[in-house]
Amino acid sequence: MKADVPLLLRALRAPQQLAGLPPAGWDLLLRQAANANLSATLHDWLAQHGMLAQALPQAREQLSWAAVMARRHRQATYWEIRLIGKALAGLGLPLLLLKGGAYAAAGLPPAAGRLFSDIDILVPEENLPQVEAALMRHGWVGTHHDSYDQRYYREWMHELPPMMHVLRQTAIDVHHTILPRTAAQRPDARLLRAAARPLTGDAAPPGTAILAPLDMVLHSATHLFADGEFDKGLRDLWDLHCLLTHFGQHEPGFWEALPARARHHQLQRFMFYGLRYSAMLLGTEVPPATLAAMAADAPPPPLLAVMDALFTRALLPHHASCRDAGSALAGFLLYVRGNWLRMPPLRLARHLFHKAFLTPKNSQGAAA
Amino acid sequence: MLTVAALAPGALQQRLAGDGLRLRTGRFSVRLQADMPSVAAGIGQLYRDYPLLQDDDFADFHLHLVRPRTARRWLRPQVRLHCDGYEMFQPMPLQHAFPMFEWGLNWCVSSRAHRYLIVHAAVLERNGRAVILPAPPGSGKSTLTAALSGKGGWRLLSDELTLLELDTGLLVPNPRPISLKNASIDIIRAYVPDAVLSPPVRDTSKGTVAHMRAPGDAVLRAADCAQPAWVVFPHYSAGAATTLEPLARAATFMELAGNSFNYSVLGAAGFHALGRLIEQAAGFRFRYSALDEALDTFARLHES
Amino acid sequence: MPVLWQLVPGQSLLHRSWDGQVVLYNEVSGATHLLDAATLDLLHALRDGGLAPEDWTDPELQLALAGLRKLYLVEPC
Repeated sequence: MKADVPLLLRALRAPQQLAGLPPAGWDLLLRQAANANLSATLHDWLAQHGMLAQALPQAREQLSWAAVMARRHRQATYWEIRLIGKALAGLGLPLLLLKGGAYAAAGLPPAAGRLFSDIDILVPEENLPQVEAALMRHGWVGTHHDSYDQRYYREWMHELPPMMHVLRQTAIDVHHTILPRTAAQRPDARLLRAAARPLTGDAAPPGTAILAPLDMVLHSATHLFADGEFDKGLRDLWDLHCLLTHFGQHEPGFWEALPARARHHQLQRFMFYGLRYSAMLLGTEVPPATLAAMAADAPPPPLLAVMDALFTRALLPHHASCRDAGSALAGFLLYVRGNWLRMPPLRLARHLFHKAFLTPKNSQGAAA
Repeated sequence: MLTVAALAPGALQQRLAGDGLRLRTGRFSVRLQADMPSVAAGIGQLYRDYPLLQDDDFADFHLHLVRPRTARRWLRPQVRLHCDGYEMFQPMPLQHAFPMFEWGLNWCVSSRAHRYLIVHAAVLERNGRAVILPAPPGSGKSTLTAALSGKGGWRLLSDELTLLELDTGLLVPNPRPISLKNASIDIIRAYVPDAVLSPPVRDTSKGTVAHMRAPGDAVLRAADCAQPAWVVFPHYSAGAATTLEPLARAATFMELAGNSFNYSVLGAAGFHALGRLIEQAAGFRFRYSALDEALDTFARLHES
Repeated sequence: MPVLWQLVPGQSLLHRSWDGQVVLYNEVSGATHLLDAATLDLLHALRDGGLAPEDWTDPELQLALAGLRKLYLVEPC
């Protein structure tokens, strides 16, 4: 663990510590937050803790810009979910939302200040062809037409190749389980669907469902720790931390049931890492009994030491201020990301500006 | 209040090459790092009157122009722009560095400052009332803006980015150099003799580009907001007679929305702000070819 | 049996009118529409329950509503 805890982590763990932060400190904090895609989240977090009023006015101003964007993303996400629901209405399947879509529809804490991209849904494997056909009837088209890519997604991964709506330029990922087929672990997709909880309320079209709390948390940990890319690592870890904290408080028996559920889905190693690094970096309060029950799921001590060194670097904001000699080894440097332009590709007004003067580096990302 | 002019040329270059020069442009603070003589010259000439900020001040936007350390460095030297650590655009030839800064800063503001409805338009003020000139590139908007602010008695609020504050409905100044292209450069050189123009930069995607220092008290009065009074869509057409035709309000609304960077991000707040603007400001289509006649039309518009 | 229609839930018909033309903000999709005054009147009537049984059988009305459906302003009940 690095000696200096990055400012962003300090802000997330103990926002009151930001009182008296000098302008240069706010400048750095906002850069770290933007880099980690946590600007709007930081806005909401500070507001929740009464620290927004005390922030440097220019910092508060910038955070409010990010909040406007997040609000728009949320509106667009509800809208997209609604349209997906309409497209799949005739199939007799629940609209089982995963990740960001689920957080938004259910109003869960990770939805606060979030910038959404694709919508992810979970369907039975045997229904993939009908789902794909229904989406295509309603204006979605397949992507990744290269035969290698097609095989990659359909045979080896756990999803259809991402589909994009022709008019709205929004993307949907249709999964049938939560880990690639090629992975050693085999989560129980049937249980994931059977334990799913229906949603009611304005944000959710009829027939919408989300994973049960235990499964949602396991999915979050798996999504983060089974993946090789950590450019969104801190954002994903924050989601996990929010879910653990929320369900720990509101879902009876959550902590007690977590170890066994993790093992049932063969995801115990990922959950071990999830609990460990969420606690280490974000201060998640995991009951000692749960930690003890998961102790057997740890990797051997030498491997754990290596993982600690890697993850405690890779999960930090990828901002220059948070990197040390080991950072390049631990993750990979990703400067070129249209991060804060990433929104569900909405029908925005033409970016007259970039069309007029400069060529965007990644026309798909920047031209949203 | 110290301005950029207070720095000796050597000191200016040093800051740009090192930890960065921090300055204020209207409501925004900028940190610029650029170790290249053309940028230092451009800043020294065109940003002379802008307030200088301290090294430890908060900066809204960090722009960093770099020369890539590859073989290209010597053969066909390039420049890359990093905005807050992100590289959004393709590299450009080194001699385009200063225009790249200008366009990059415009891009930063227009993609993030969601306190404002940001219209791709020029905006000028006279006696507290402002005219907004939306126009796609190449329609002569910048030439007109340079003429109106350089000679016509209008104060420049912005050449590219009209900032309509959502809460107040006021137009907020964002005075920056006016970018002129191709034939306009010589036209303005002749029409506004005391205009301060940067050396022309050739072979950009827009042709030859030069920047004109924001004239008069534009920078000094960057804190003075204005009420929207007119929206004029200009069309330059060689040999055309000067005509000003009223435009229906709903059409003005839709055209302004279509010319905005962030209308669709702002949702209902953007809708209401634009609606309020349309209540206050009359819309027109304006065709012209002669600058004198154009300035005359705007003077009469102002008096009406 | 004629199709009955309603406003899409969430639409409060935020709009401005000038000279017989209307701009309307679609709170559900985030889009902004340019409509004529008659169409706005129809939307208001739909919202306020001002349509009579004989109105529903009017083919032109059904056509207009089918068009508005594409904008996600109205939907069949």
